[in-house]
Parts: sequence; C-alpha cells; structure tokens
Amino acid sequence: MTSAMSTISSSHPASADASTLETEVLIIGGGVTGTGVMRDLALRGIHCVLIDKVDLCAGASGGNHGLLHSGARYVSTDLDAAIECRKESELLKHLAPQCIEATGGLFVGVDGDDPAFAERFPELCRRAAIGCEELTVAEARRLEPHLSDRLVKAYRVADASVDPFHLALANVDHARLINGSIYRSHTELVHFEVIDGEIRSAHCRDRRTHAKLVIRARQVVNAGGAWAMDIAHLAGCTDVDLVYAKGTLLVNHDRMTRHVVNRLRPPGDGDILVPGGTVSLLGTTSTRIEHLDHVGPTVDEIDLIIREGSAMIPALAGARYTRAFSRVRPLLQGAGHAGDRAASRGFALMDHRSQGLTNFCTITGGKLTTFRLMAEKAADLVAGRLGNRQAGTTASVALPIGDAGRWTEPGAAPRQWYALGNPADMILCECEMVPQSAVDQIVAVPPGEAPQQMSIEAISLRSRVGKGPCQGSFCGIRVSSYLYDRGYYRDAAGLAYMRDFFDERFKGQRLVVWGQQAAQMELAEALHCGLFGLDALQAD
Amino acid sequence: MAQTATSPINFKEAALELLPPGANFDACLTCGLCSSGCPASGLENMDPRKFIRMAMLGMDTELSTTPWVWCCTLCRRCEYVCPMKIDISRLVFLARGNWPKDSKPAGIARSCHLTQFGPSTSAMGMPPDDFVLVVDDVLQEVRATQPGFQHLQAPMDKRGAHFFVNQNSREPMSEPDEMVPLWKILDLVGADWTYSSKGWAAENFCMFTGDEEAWRDVIRKRVDAVNDLGCQVWLNTECGHSYYSMWEGVKRFGLEARFRIESLISYYAQWIREGKLPINSRWNTKGIKFTVQDPCMIVRKSYGDSIAEDMRFVVRTLVGEDNFADMHPNRSANYCCGGGGGFLQAGMTDHRRTYGKRKFDQIAATGASYVLTPCHNCHSQIDDIGHFYGGNYGVVHFWTLMCLSLGILGENERHYLGPDLRALID
Repeated sequence: MTSAMSTISSSHPASADASTLETEVLIIGGGVTGTGVMRDLALRGIHCVLIDKVDLCAGASGGNHGLLHSGARYVSTDLDAAIECRKESELLKHLAPQCIEATGGLFVGVDGDDPAFAERFPELCRRAAIGCEELTVAEARRLEPHLSDRLVKAYRVADASVDPFHLALANVDHARLINGSIYRSHTELVHFEVIDGEIRSAHCRDRRTHAKLVIRARQVVNAGGAWAMDIAHLAGCTDVDLVYAKGTLLVNHDRMTRHVVNRLRPPGDGDILVPGGTVSLLGTTSTRIEHLDHVGPTVDEIDLIIREGSAMIPALAGARYTRAFSRVRPLLQGAGHAGDRAASRGFALMDHRSQGLTNFCTITGGKLTTFRLMAEKAADLVAGRLGNRQAGTTASVALPIGDAGRWTEPGAAPRQWYALGNPADMILCECEMVPQSAVDQIVAVPPGEAPQQMSIEAISLRSRVGKGPCQGSFCGIRVSSYLYDRGYYRDAAGLAYMRDFFDERFKGQRLVVWGQQAAQMELAEALHCGLFGLDALQAD
Repeated sequence: MAQTATSPINFKEAALELLPPGANFDACLTCGLCSSGCPASGLENMDPRKFIRMAMLGMDTELSTTPWVWCCTLCRRCEYVCPMKIDISRLVFLARGNWPKDSKPAGIARSCHLTQFGPSTSAMGMPPDDFVLVVDDVLQEVRATQPGFQHLQAPMDKRGAHFFVNQNSREPMSEPDEMVPLWKILDLVGADWTYSSKGWAAENFCMFTGDEEAWRDVIRKRVDAVNDLGCQVWLNTECGHSYYSMWEGVKRFGLEARFRIESLISYYAQWIREGKLPINSRWNTKGIKFTVQDPCMIVRKSYGDSIAEDMRFVVRTLVGEDNFADMHPNRSANYCCGGGGGFLQAGMTDHRRTYGKRKFDQIAATGASYVLTPCHNCHSQIDDIGHFYGGNYGVVHFWTLMCLSLGILGENERHYLGPDLRALID
C-alpha cells in the first residue's frame, strides 16, 4: 500500500515543500460531517485536505450513543428531523452496512410515564412515515429479558447502532483511494490569510511537533462542529451562532440488550441505551455550558443517568461501567425558551456571503444519522463554487469495505486472528484481543504523519486497543513496548504517548469506579506510577 | 480433532449461570495471572485469559470447537491465582460436554464408556469376577512366598468393614504386585477394611468427557456399593482424580452417601502420628533426594493445603528432612503435571509433553532422584516426561517407599526402584 503523501505527489500538484500543501478544498474538522464532505467531494473528482486539531471524531461525532435513529426519537419535537433521520438511516443501512448493526429499537414506557404520550406515539410516527409496531409487555420482555417488570407499553422501531469511528475512517480512506485526498490529524488552524474577500491560505501548526504548515485551497469548509463558531471567527465571520449543550454518557461493560432501548416519553435525561458490539452506551444528559474547555462528566450526572436508565432496565443500577465521558453538542441558536432538548437538531449550511467571503462555508448542527445529507449539501455548494457540475453520489455509491475501519468493530480482530491461527502473531491488547498484525496495519497508514508520531491514542481510535475492562492498563504498555521493539518509537516520546493514553483512559474511569474496579485502578496505578514512574515524566 | 455437529454454547450466558456474581467473567481484570501460570498457555494458540475474553466477545463457535479444551487439565490453578477468583474450568468442562460424542478424544470416551456401563466401574473394563480372582491369586502367592505374611488379608465384600478401599484398575490389570505394599500397610496398622467386587474401581474418565450424566452414573454405582456394605469411610488410594470425582460428584449430584470420603494420604500421616506405622528414614544412608508432586485433585481442588502438609510430614519422616526438596511453586499453587483431565488418554502426545515441560523443569530444579506421586496420572505423566526430556529421576508411590522403609518390600514390588534404591535393600 502506498502512503498518502506519495499518492498525492504522483497525481496532484501538491507542493514538494512539506510546509505547504496545495489542494482544491480545505476541510476543517474531522468529525463524521467533515469526513463525509471529503468523501463526497472526492467522488466528484475534487481533491481535499482534511485537518483536525486532535484526530477523527474527537468531538460530538465520537461522543454519542452511536445511535442510527429511525427518527422515532424526534417525532414529538421535530417532525422534519424525524423524517430526515428515517430517510438517512434507511440509506446508510444499505450503503454502509459494515458500520451498522441493525439491532432494531424499542420504545418502552414504565409505570408512571405519561400514558397520553404513549397513546399518541404511533400516530406521531405515522406522520413521519416511521414504522412503529406495538408489542405486548410480555413480547417486549421476551425480546429483552432485562426490561423492567414495571413496563406498561412497548413499541418496536427500526433504530440501529452505528460506529462513527468506522464511518469516519472509511470516509477518509475512500477519499484517499479515489484521488489522494489527504487527512492530517493534530493540525490546528492558527489564522486565515484573507485577501479581497477570499481565504488564500490557512496557517496551521502541528500540535505535536509545533511545525508550521500552510495550506492553500480554493475553497474552505468549516466542519468544526462545536468549534465551528471559533473557526468562523478566525475568518472574521460572526454569523455562526451556536449554543453548547454538554451531554454525558456511560459505557457499560456488558451488552445488556439486543435492541436499542428508548424511554417512551419526550426526550429527556438517561433515556437511551444503545448496544454496540460487546458493550452498551447509556445516556445522556443535557447541560448548557459557556466554554468548550475542560468539559467532563460529574458524579451527579452519572447518578442521574443510572437512576433514569434503571427505570427501564433495573440491572443497570448494579452493572459494571467501564467509563464515562462528556462531549458538546453544537446547537443552532434560536430555539429560545423551550430548552436545548427542543432546540433544533437540524443543521445549517452558511455560505458567509453576507460576511464578505466567497470561498468559505460552514456546516454545523445536525446529528450523526444525518451526516451524509449535511455533507452532501455542503459539497453541493463547494462543488458549484468550483464550477464542478457533477452531482453528488453518496446516496448511491456504497462505502467500500476496506482495511481502514475494520479494526474498530468489537470482536473483528480476534475472529480474524483466531482463524489465521498464527502463534507468532502475538495479542497486544488482551481485553479486546487486538493482535500485533492489526497494529502493524494501522501504523502503516498514519493519518498524515510518520509512524513514529502515531500515538497510542491514535492506534486506539483506529482499533479496540484500550477499550476493554482494563482500559489500557496493560495494553498501553504492551503496544508501546511493541512499537519500541519495532523501532517506531525511539525516544521519550513513546513514554509520553503512553502516559497521555493512560491519562485519557483514567479521565473516563475515575468517576465510575467502585468496588472491585477500585482494585483494578490500584493495580493500574501501581504499574504506571510505581513501576514506570510515568507520573514523574517531564511534560513534553 | 474438530467438531461441528452440536450448536455452540453461549459462554457468556453460561458463565452468568454457573459462576457466582463477583467471580464471573465480567469481573475479569485481564491481568493475565491465570495465563502466565497455566502450563497449557500457548497450546492451540489459547490460554485461560483468551478463553474468558473470547467468551465476553461472543466467540462462541471458536470456543465450542477449539481442541484446547482437551489440553486444559481442569486443574484450576487459574482460579487459584485469580484476584477475582474466576473459575474458568467450569466453562471448559461445559465445552467438553458439548462436543459430539464421536468427536471427543477416543481414549477418554472409551474409558468413560467402560466405566459407566460395567458393574466394576473400571475404566479398563475389568469385570468383578476377574478382579476377585486377581486379588486372590496375588494374595495366595504372597502368603506362600513371603515370610511373615502367611496371614495377610485382602478382604472382599466384607460387610460393616470400617474402610471401603478402592483400587485403580491399572494395578489388577497391568501390575498386580503393586497392590501388595498397600495390603501390607493396612495389615500393619490393623485397619478394618474391604474391597468390593462391585464399584471397586477408582478411576472416572466420565468426569473428563464433560458428560455430567455419565459422571453421576459412575458415582452413584460407587455410592451404592459403599452404602450396601455399610462401610464408614470410602478410602481412596494414591490416586487424584478418583478422589475428586467422588468428593465433588456426591455434592454436585446430591447423592446420599452414608460414609466419609477420604484420601489415603491423610491416613498415612495419622497412622505415623499414632505410632501405628513406624516408618523412618534410617534406610536412606546414601542421602538419596526426593521431591513430591502435589496432585491438583486432592490438594488445590479439594482438601486444600492441609493434605499438602500431611504429605510433607509423611515424606520428611520417610526420606529424612535433609533429603526432601520441594518444587516451587508448591502445595495449592503447584503446577499440574499435564497428566490430569484425561490428557494422558486424549491422544495429544506432543501437546501433553509441551505442557509437561514446566513440571519437568520444576523437578530438575530440585535435583531430586525420585518424585513421590500419590496419583496415578501424575505418576504416568512424570515418568513419561522424565524419559522424553532426558531426565534422570524415578517415580515412586508412597506405599513402595514405606514398605522399603519397613523392610517388607517384596521382590516383585520393586519395579519402580532405581539401582540406587535397590542397592540399599539387596
């Protein structure tokens, strides 16, 4: 497999100077939307550079339930969003089945929930043409034995679970294969050079190496998600008006149900459980915040989520949770008094013409389920501005099944490893059973970096490394050791990667640990601090 | 060896049912203590931690078909060292049971069949009449040829005897003279004992097939035989799995056993302490070194360390404090030798010897000339790996060495003695 850089130098007029990249379209923000725009444009023959200041799905794209909405969730609050969800989820199930598990979904009411809402629900679904089948309580509990014995109502819908990391990785990889479009992680926008109402270049820096990078593009797409307002400000635009809602989720150690389980009531806290692979995600909360820095879960939020969730599934009260995390939803301003749950989950595409710019647009808001549509709208605008008359094809071209996202699926790596039965292919992450061959393959396609800059976190994002019950305690050490052995890591940077990885996993664990898991934490601390002294490692 | 005919087990759900909360698969820290201490790690590319993780990842087909379940000897060392006390062997046992009958290792399956359907419960299929005949033949010969043993007893079907003594089929079938030292010891201590013509055999390969029903059938026959004779103690001789299969089986299947289940080892210790068995180490004038194998079945899996202490008391008395060297680790943390769980009969010789390498190294490190093994499977396996890896040690039963110490070991009872030991008594 050739590297991204060699592909681009052979087929595109990129600068040989490493500090300058030339492309047709610069996309800022590696969430599902940004990667969706990249793939959409590449399919129209347009070369792109995608940058993210962290890595793929570092914002809301990677911090949600992974729920592919049937639309039923929004029937009472936002009919348009509900219809969009229905259409898009049906499309994605056909076009990207490798990223989706067609779990089906249940909406369940328990004793005490509003019976009027429950009665109205099928009619609300019908208005959005969303399939909704009523189940008896006995049928529902037969399907999902963990459901509460206080269940009073149940409907079945076509919810599914989707792996946003797999989607983003596959989007980026497809764009790379089509025309050598480039993705660069850890690349932060510092300022735009604007001349005569046009962004001429974007000045960036690598947050790891502090190297400067200038990207010259004819069009710039702001797909910054919650950060879209900040990015627009750098371009001098004041028309992106977002409010921030923090949502907190819990990762359950076990997959509790086969179906997605939603509470049968207007959207509220802790009312969705989404099974994904071998785990489940439970959430969320919604809290208005003013700043994007230092966003993290609180014990109160976690207690609330578990309390609400266990009304549907009592076993959640005593279940083992692996981690908790919070991400920020960017919501479009203007919903006013009704609260953030009712604020539009729709999206906005802004061409910024009113701000005096002709080659800049912002796509924000929306949701995971509708990312393809959002990307298509943005790509339509950009392609039109470039004079490209090709129609978008993401509604008909299937996402290729390739190597890029294959290791994010729980159980995929061990199944392949077991089938090959090669005793020399050592397992590095024992919880999720990720073998060295998977790590080799991931490191071979670095996100625009040299392999020696591929952090453990970056490998974790592209695989299941660190996602299991040990939360990286052992595999962080083993993967690092392996990369040192293979010569990818040569200096103290590898230790810093290891420390950063543990820090990140610890942040997620610290609020959900009790009982037996506390012993595990102690063990991890003894290893990481006592044995390796990583707490004494100099910053940078 | 591979199988496809039965549908896979849902191991995660099975674990939830079979294992206690708090010591279930979901409590696993993936620390790997189980695997690093498991001699079967690496065989068939598997180890105990992989077994748990594959269960949690839903790899039921793989776990239902991996031949590794026949390499795991069900020794439960993984559980012993696990900080969360997760018992993996229960699920391995379940997986074994789920294999189609005709795909299971033939040696184990055949032995089970013979054990299950004969009145003797003998894995070698020895009928009651033959057993009675062999015992009587050997007894008559000893009476006729060994001075001082003209009145030696080997009672058969004696109602109300205190001890119901079982017998591993290997002796009456292949090496009948090996029965004699035990008879002499029982005679010396004045034990009130009997053999039974029914349910006399010790071994239970049905336990190793994973077939609970067959295991229960065998144990029920033996329980009935002991109850019928009205004995107070079912005394297991120097054999490991036969003790465990009876002790665990009676509890597991809720059988009414009107007797206690004991191992000969603890009686050896008791009789020495009571002065009934006057053994000593004065015979060991050359300082011949011994080590001892803790059979998993009677130490870690049932009695615990108490019987390991009894065993060391017996060994030290028998060979001399200075001539005893323990293996490390030992007692409940000891490694299985690789002869357990039916491995010897599973037809996986290379794997079994690979497994046994760790035991061989442990023995070599003691520098001992002999390994005392109060277990038939340990005895066979340790003997085999000694030859295979070029070791220079012998393997002996306790009863042999005890009679040697007492000066009553007959000519035909010295099969397992090396020249150094023979030289001391000739």
